[in-house]
Amino acid sequence: MDISLKTTDGEIGETGVGDGLRVKIIGVGGAGTNTVDRLQFGEQGQARLAAINTDAQALASSPIPEKLMIGRSVTRGLSTGGEAELGRKAAENDVSSILNMVSGMDLVFILVGLGGGTGSGAAPVVARQARDQGALVVAFATLPFSLEGGRRLEIAEAALGELRLVCDAVIPLPNDLLLQQAEENATVLDAFTQADDWIGRGVGSICAMLFQTGLINVDFATLKKAFCVQGGKTLFGLGRGEGGDFVEKALQDLALCPLLHTPEYARKADRLLVNIIGGTDLGIGHVNRVMAAVTERFGSKADTVLGAVIDDNLQSTVEICVIGTTDVGGGRYVRQPVKSYAAKPKPPESPQGRPIDKAQGGPAAPKLDLEETSAPDNRESDYEPLPELDSVRPHDGAQGRSTETRMPQVHQSKLKKTEANDGTDQEEFLFVSEEEQRGYFDKTDRNLFDGEDLDVPTYLRRGIRVTL
Amino acid sequence: MSQSKIVAAVEIGTSKTVVLVGEIVNGRSLSVIGMGQSSSSGVKKGEILDFKAASNSTHAAIMGAEKSAGVNIDAVYLAQTGRHLEGFNNKGSVTVSAADGHVSGSDIERAQREGKSKELPQDRVYIHHIKNEVLLDGRKVDEPYHMKGERLDIGYWSIHGDERRVRDHIHVINGFGLPVEDMIVSSIASGSMVVGDEEKKAGALVLDIGCGATDWVLYQDGYIARTGVVAVGGDHLTNDLALGLRVNRRNADKLKLQCGKAILEKDDLTEKVWMVGDHMIGDRHIPKKAMVQIIEARLDELFRIVKKQIGPRCTAQNLPGGIILTGGTSQIEGICELAAKVFGAEARLGVNPRIVSEDLRGPEFSTVLGLLHYALTGQHAEEFNTGAHERGILRKVVKLIAG
Ligand SMILES: Nc1nc2c(ncn2[C@@H]2O[C@H](COP(=O)(O)OP(=O)(O)OP(=O)(O)O)[C@@H](O)[C@H]2O)c(=O)[nH]1
Ligand SMILES: [Mg+2]
Repeated sequence: MDISLKTTDGEIGETGVGDGLRVKIIGVGGAGTNTVDRLQFGEQGQARLAAINTDAQALASSPIPEKLMIGRSVTRGLSTGGEAELGRKAAENDVSSILNMVSGMDLVFILVGLGGGTGSGAAPVVARQARDQGALVVAFATLPFSLEGGRRLEIAEAALGELRLVCDAVIPLPNDLLLQQAEENATVLDAFTQADDWIGRGVGSICAMLFQTGLINVDFATLKKAFCVQGGKTLFGLGRGEGGDFVEKALQDLALCPLLHTPEYARKADRLLVNIIGGTDLGIGHVNRVMAAVTERFGSKADTVLGAVIDDNLQSTVEICVIGTTDVGGGRYVRQPVKSYAAKPKPPESPQGRPIDKAQGGPAAPKLDLEETSAPDNRESDYEPLPELDSVRPHDGAQGRSTETRMPQVHQSKLKKTEANDGTDQEEFLFVSEEEQRGYFDKTDRNLFDGEDLDVPTYLRRGIRVTL
Repeated sequence: MSQSKIVAAVEIGTSKTVVLVGEIVNGRSLSVIGMGQSSSSGVKKGEILDFKAASNSTHAAIMGAEKSAGVNIDAVYLAQTGRHLEGFNNKGSVTVSAADGHVSGSDIERAQREGKSKELPQDRVYIHHIKNEVLLDGRKVDEPYHMKGERLDIGYWSIHGDERRVRDHIHVINGFGLPVEDMIVSSIASGSMVVGDEEKKAGALVLDIGCGATDWVLYQDGYIARTGVVAVGGDHLTNDLALGLRVNRRNADKLKLQCGKAILEKDDLTEKVWMVGDHMIGDRHIPKKAMVQIIEARLDELFRIVKKQIGPRCTAQNLPGGIILTGGTSQIEGICELAAKVFGAEARLGVNPRIVSEDLRGPEFSTVLGLLHYALTGQHAEEFNTGAHERGILRKVVKLIAG
């Protein structure tokens, strides 16, 4: 079985890979806290759960063990009433408690319903603290229903942008879209439940890869590779199949996953994280089939981290979770795993991740070796020192866990490059154009009318359920 | 000796750029003598996003047109659309100056000047001042000259656009070494082709639903009462279908063209269509219901937005001439029924005049044909003839931009 698994960087069949790893799942704001409340945890329960809110009452009713109330002097224990600015202030006022909550963590998940004041304002602050403490930070953020109004959407989008700046990966989940997945007569509450379920499966998949005994476990360093470029678009898809032909069914389900078809998401990824959860009858042949199909569709084998775990309670069932990161729209800096802890000259950093001019990415850009782009630790010699940008974030180097460096021009999404190589139209097999994966109207002005963005499909905004 | 002038009508559209070459003989008759097309790039929602790409595709179309006409173009009439276009009603009011109370040419000129004098913010430029209602002591009149009265009001629907976008459009043409003679908003150009004088008098609404945008024009009492743009068109249908049906853009577009439909009927509830249609591996069945639902939601919303933009005037009583649909996207099945339902008025498809050749009859050519019409009549502002020629507001724009 090793032949086909060589490319995955996965460790095979060892238990206890994730021992000693510190993972925390933090819900921020009302929605985020609710989501954490409802997380169904099985064996990946080694992650600690926490909640942060301005709203004392909401916090009190949550069963989560670790709770932090922020902004007592700002909102006096009440909600921010939708003011993101207050949410940010509240978090900044209690920044030392937040720091305590995230310190020492290897991996922090931030769950948040964007659109409200607390979540939208505080989540970026929490993420920044966690990142500055050296944790890998992955955020799952729901976006409000269109019918909640233009203002909430605006707040949410601003917060999403901020989160992308400070997280290793941000996975946005538009509520409009989640409602599509619910039953015919679903209510808004059902969509929230759906959101919670999806987030739970995403978080659970990553934890399972790290902690659960499986066919293929993934160690933390490998996992981190999947998140080495920050701020780019992500891809998130789930598929599930049961009964005869369960693998094919799961692949079909995955292909129809609505999240994979929104402009919010990339269609192809530069790096993929694929987790497969199966029953006791899941064989390595099944895993190979999934791997082949998924990499063909979403990315390349060489840049895929694969995990496969067995759930004793399952039979003839497989669940596939795909998380991808891209350099598209991001690529401000790259997090470099440091090979040795010995002191060495630190590569330069960018203060706020100075964006690299996308205009450079045209077809004329030099062609690059794809392998090298995805393995930043081989690339050190390419980083040109930029002394004036030095040491803005003292925590990083000191911790010796990771460093960041301004990305040289060399690091461009290969998604674009492949497209430039030949413009044939076997699009299912080639990387799609950047335009397509960034959403067709992405580069155009927002198309606002009465607070709604007309570029977003009407059926989604109106909550019309489309059944395929 | 007859004098001829070679003009081109250019529409830099979202899906394709069309150039028609017309020969104007003695300023009185026009014949279409050439045509060029290219698929546009760098244009979305009717606006130029990538100047270079848009220039290249436009220049290719102009070159093709010149070649097919076998002559060089002297000047270009250019269509303009996009969300940046806005309009407002303004009025020039003067007291009739002559002692005998007869309206003089100079009274008219003063009223016209005043009606067009409103200053715009710095980054905006006028594209048209379209004369509409003329009132003499509050009574509607057609031609005030020499009539008796005290107070003359001349109303205008003034359309203005973002200077940078207007400039970009003109520069694309200038980049080919051609001057822009005039710029006409697409709705007005299209409207002039598909609505008759009777309908204009009665009251009618034209919607040109293109690929990237929908341009509309409302006629009342024979004049242009209002125009507008919604940056929604066929591209949105394709995009909605791609997302909703989980198919790629190419297949979404194909589905839209082959079996798109704007109104859900009983038979659609159970029908299935093939995504690709080649029955090969990877092809799959798509419920027609899903497809129609997605299209209907989008077009229904589009019509409601237009209705809202027009405001309370948009009633069936004001539209005896009905709703006339044109533009490429108007070809979708059932679109008239849907429009009729939303507007509560009769709706039909527009047809370009019989005199144009067969290959130009399609609804997607209404705009360019309309441009040629204006090249011939040269009166987009539909002014009174007072001697002082009021043409070429764009001249100002062009000059301003050149300098
Ligand atoms: N998944 C999920 N989303 C929710 C839930 N409740 C609300 N939301 C969504 O999350 C967004 C943010 O709402 P909240 O989390 O209540 O707001 P907050 O962050 O607490 O901020 P303030 O109450 O304004 O201080 C809303 O716009 C909804 O779209 C829930 O229970 N679950
Ligand atoms: Mg709250």
